[in-house]
Parts: sequence; C-alpha cells; structure tokens
Amino acid sequence: MILQQILNGLTSGAVYALFALGFTLIFGVQKILNLAHAGVFMAGAFISYYAVVNGVPFWASVLLAMVGSGILSVLVDLVAIRPLRKRSHDIEYAAIVTTIGIDLILISIAQRLSETQVLRFPFGTFPVEFYRFAGLRISLLQIVICGLVALTLLGLAWYLYRTSFGRQIQAVTANPNAAQLLGVNPRAVFFQTFFISGALAGLAGVMIGLSFNSIHFLMGEPYMLKAFVVVVIGGLGSLSGAVAASLLLGVVQALSVAYLPSGLPDMLIFAFLFLVLLVQPNGLFGRAGVSTGVGRR
Amino acid sequence: MMPFLVTNQPIIDFFLISLGIAFAQQIVFRAGVFSVATAGIVALGAYGSAILVTRFGLSGLPAVLLAGGIGLLAGLLLSVPLARLRGVYQAIATLAFVEIVINALYYFEPLTGGALGLSGIPKLVTTWHLLLVVGLTCWLLFAIGRSGVGRAFDALRQDETVGASLGVSIRFYHTLAFALAGLVGGVFGGMKSLYTYAISPEQFGFAFVVSILTAVVLGGRATLLGPVLGALLLALLPEIARPLAENRLMVHGLIMIVVMIFLPHGLGDSLMHALTKRRMRRARQAPEVPNGSA
Repeated sequence: MILQQILNGLTSGAVYALFALGFTLIFGVQKILNLAHAGVFMAGAFISYYAVVNGVPFWASVLLAMVGSGILSVLVDLVAIRPLRKRSHDIEYAAIVTTIGIDLILISIAQRLSETQVLRFPFGTFPVEFYRFAGLRISLLQIVICGLVALTLLGLAWYLYRTSFGRQIQAVTANPNAAQLLGVNPRAVFFQTFFISGALAGLAGVMIGLSFNSIHFLMGEPYMLKAFVVVVIGGLGSLSGAVAASLLLGVVQALSVAYLPSGLPDMLIFAFLFLVLLVQPNGLFGRAGVSTGVGRR
Repeated sequence: MMPFLVTNQPIIDFFLISLGIAFAQQIVFRAGVFSVATAGIVALGAYGSAILVTRFGLSGLPAVLLAGGIGLLAGLLLSVPLARLRGVYQAIATLAFVEIVINALYYFEPLTGGALGLSGIPKLVTTWHLLLVVGLTCWLLFAIGRSGVGRAFDALRQDETVGASLGVSIRFYHTLAFALAGLVGGVFGGMKSLYTYAISPEQFGFAFVVSILTAVVLGGRATLLGPVLGALLLALLPEIARPLAENRLMVHGLIMIVVMIFLPHGLGDSLMHALTKRRMRRARQAPEVPNGSA
C-alpha cells in the first residue's frame, strides 16, 4: 500500500518537475518570476485537446502542444518582459505584474473557448492498460509519463551542459554583462529559454490533462502554487534542486493525501514552504540563483 | 445628490470596501515591501468579525475593532520571517501565507464552515460606516505620509541601501508597515463580512490577490490619490460597458500589462508627479522677487 502510494507520488512528482523546471530556468536566466507559466501550461493541454478532437493523432498533438506552448511562451517574453527591460534593469516587481496580466488574458481566452466547461479527451485517446508488478499496480500511462519525463530531462541536460547554445544560457545565467562582452546575444538566449520552458510546460499540461482526464481554464493555478514550493525547496534557479524537490513533493503529497484528513496536506505543504524560507531560504539542495536577502539593487 | 446615492449604492459600497483594502496593500508597497499578504489578512479579519458576531453575539463596533486587532497581530507575526527576505522571495512567502490561511479556513470546519463558509451574518455595516472608516484611513495615511514615517517609507522604497546609510532602521519601518497594513486590512475585512451576509474561503483566493494588486498598480503605489483612482476605475469599468463586465479577467490583465509598460508608476502617482512638475516650472518662470522698483 505504502509502496503503491510512493509510486503514484513519483509519477506526479515527475510532472511537477516538468512544470517547475521551466519556471526555475527562466528565473535563473532572467531573475524574474514568470507567473504566465501557469497559463502556458493550461494552453498546452488545450492545444492538444483541440488537436485530438479535430482528428490529429495523439502523439502528433503532444508535439503540437509543445511547439505551440513554446511559441506562446516566447510571446510572453516579447509582450510582457522585453518592453520593461528596455527601460530599466530592475524589473523584478514590474515583471510579476505584467506576467500575471498575461496569465489572466490566457485564462480568459480559455474560458471563452471552453465555455467554462471541463473538457475531457475522447475515450480511447490513450489505451487504458494496467500491469501488475511485484504486488504493485502500474498503468501504461504512468510508465509512459515517467519514460517521457526522464527522456525530456536527459535531453534538457544534454542541451544545457553539452552544446554551445546551452553554454551560452549558462553564461548569461552566471553574469549577463560579461556574457554580452564575450559576444553572447542575450536576446537569443532569452528567446531559447522561454521557448524551452514553454514547451516543458505544454508537455506537463498534456500529461496532467490526460492523467486526471480533465482540462479546464483554471487548471494552471494549483500547479503554479506547487511550483513555488518546489523551486523554493530546491533553491530558486537551481535545476537539479527543482527535480529532486519535485519528486519529494510528489511522494509527500501522495502519502499525506492517503493518510491525513483532507484539507490538511496543502496547509502543511505551504507551511513547510514558509519554514524553509525562514531557516534555509537558499533551498534544501544547495545554492539558489540569487541571494535571498539583497535581491534588489 | 440623494437619488444618485440611492440608485448607485451597491457600487459605492463596493468601491469603498475595495478602496480600504487597496489602502492596506499600498502601505506595504510604499515601504518597499513586495507583500501580497493583504488577501490573507482581510480573510482573517472577515472570518474573525463574522465568528465574533454570530457565535459570541458581539455588536458591530467591537467586532470590527477586534478584527483590526487580529489583522494587526497577523501583520506583526508575518513581519518577523519576512524581515529576512526581499523581492521575489517576499512575494512567494506572502502568497504561501495566503494559501495557508485559505486551507486553514477549509480545514477548521466546525469554526469556519469549511467550503460552504459562513452565512446568515447580520448586516451591521452601512454606507455611512464605510465612508467614515475610509475617511479615517485617509486621514491616518495622509498624516503618516506627511510625517517622518512617510519619508522613511519613501526612502526605503526608492533605495534601501541609501535609506539605511541615512540612519533609517529597515527592520523597524518594515515592521511598522506590516502592522499598519494588517490593522487597515483587518478592519476592512471585518466590515466586508458584516456587509455581505455570507463569506466563503474561495472569495479570498488568488483572484482576490490579483484584484487588490490591479487596483494599486493601476492607481499608484506612493500617493493617496493612487488607490482612490484605481479602485474607482475598477468599480466603474463593469458599469460603463457590459462587454467589460463579461471579460473582467481580460480587462484586468490588459490593464496590468499596459499600465506597467507605459505608466509604470500608475495613474495617480503620474498625475501628482505631473502636477508637481508643472507647479515647479510655473514657479521658475514667474518673475523673481522684484529687486526694488526700477
């Protein structure tokens, strides 16, 4: 029973990781909180749903969702972040406000499209199959989710740490001015990071939409709040920390939902976030991207 | 004047309540603290006064005062951990605080009514009460703004390091800002629940955080005029045009983006700034003190 819960927790933790990675990647590079990430996540699920309904095969719809959310995320940068950066370097506060604005617009469009209904993938979009393994019940969907997430993380790690583009991203993360002096174009780097983070969010949206079989216009908000917990525990801006914290959060949540009265788990999780900020604001798994005390110049 | 007041009373009351809450949010912004905890504090005040009135049979005035006390206490407690954090970390921590409050309201069902919330709250607050308290808050903020405290807040907002080097105690003024915002937020939360008959936890969620933020961003973070303009526009927009009411979320989103990009200080602050500039230009153009009579 406990093992089953841990397995379920790891699966949902894997999806949290996809969502939180994109969020923390943007924070690492740009030092801003992109609150439109929740809207992009929701848009991914919507794109995939409408593609499937219109006869596109499921796998193609996943790709379409990733590309679509990636482009949407780049638009967020163009509309909400770049005009701010033109005027001043200290855009922390302004960026939170404008990205909330984009999030509200995306939610409002999705509400219009779905007419405030909960959408469901048509039956048979994904085969419902269960395997028994050492007393555990594993669905094909869980296996595919874990496999896809692992592949994506490996691909991302290869891209960030083994290619020239990835090294440019790392350079801008470490010191934007020095990177620019060395001939790195920060705009191109911002484009790439927003595209990657959007594509990850879109993939996470499809996975969540499929595993709970419900897609609706407010689905992003709880994941956004969970992503805050993940990125703070893992260290804001730290990629490996985000993955570890996501898996941890998934397991803790599955266990506490199973064994604690309802309503208590979320309260404990956010109280834990508060506690971490209080005693170890750089995160439990190492160093955060920026100092917690003097974020402002 | 009277018929106008009677027909538009719900809008006026809504405006006054959201103005009070926007003032509470503005106090922390003015001191340079990026806290969005106001929603949680308002929720505590609202539930506090509703429970005091329905369970313990208190009358309106002590219930609202105690709600203010609850808000003040919550603000003081919050300021202890938040004093160590800055910028985005403050935003995340205070958002977590709002989530903790809302989940607690769901969880302690015997006291708070859980997801259904509390209903059957007597309506003890009228427009005149709201006007009176908004007036008092305005006076309090005006007095603070003119005093050394206001200047200390401004210094910390504009540049914390310079402020500290000039002898402004960051810790003391941030705590003061949290306590004041908690007091004002708690009082208006208490009045909100004694005005609306029923409250439930989801009223105080992320959407509420965003609507408070929109009012202050639209109006401005430093002048008294800011929240007044912001809350007034947000209350009037749905009345001016029906399509605006149906797409409230989209309108809020557009306001946040457009104002932040083109008028980063908000309508009220920009207006006051322009007026000050004009007055100074006038003063410069005006003939100097006449040197004798040539």
